[in-house]
Amino acid sequence: MNLFGMLELSGSALGAERQRAEVVASNMANAQTTRTPAGGPYRRQLVVFQAQRFPRFSFALAALHRDPASAVRVAAVIPDQRPSVMRFEPGHPDANPEGYVAYPQVDPIEEMTDLLSAVRAYELNASAVQATKNMITQSLDLLR
Amino acid sequence: MSNPIPSIRILPADIGTSPTSAADGGQFLDTLHQAMNEVEGAQGDAATQVAQVLNGQGADLHSAMIAVEKADLSFQLMMQVRNRIVQAYQTISNMQF
Repeated sequence: MNLFGMLELSGSALGAERQRAEVVASNMANAQTTRTPAGGPYRRQLVVFQAQRFPRFSFALAALHRDPASAVRVAAVIPDQRPSVMRFEPGHPDANPEGYVAYPQVDPIEEMTDLLSAVRAYELNASAVQATKNMITQSLDLLR
Repeated sequence: MSNPIPSIRILPADIGTSPTSAADGGQFLDTLHQAMNEVEGAQGDAATQVAQVLNGQGADLHSAMIAVEKADLSFQLMMQVRNRIVQAYQTISNMQF
């Protein structure tokens, strides 16, 4: 792997973290949503990350080349399996016959923690890009 | 002083007919051309991605920035190599006999 490969790796992580932050934003935006196209309340979404062999054809051909570095990608965005929160609101149009409304299982504290974690991870990977850039620049300075 | 230095005479037929230098020079020139094409490719890629971001075609901002960085660094590398070649040429050019 060359130095530009490191940029690709960090880039994949930036993309994944951005998507994670996006999902958190979606969860927070829909914290009170009781109607969805699929019916029922909004379900909290979770991202699943997966390590991915660095997508380089020459490496794929040369299976002997054991490159430990691997990029990350979002394998899936799945709904949280926890049950919805039932709140007693008889006047609500989406209330069931007993007067309870199913609300999404979105916990603001959990979402904020997730968001912070995603933002920090993004920062981390941006710093990695910066570091790689500095390394390349320093290599170029060797020629001066 | 029985053997004075002969004056330099380059006949038109002498230029570009040296097979060895043409082969070596050609190889290096090919490498250089290839590298320059890669730099150009990186710049084209960066331009496309930035245009996509600005047009709102769903390209990732960080991918565009990384593409721009790559183009910049490739260009700097090319410039360094070019500076070295010019420097070598000037060194040879300033040789005193």
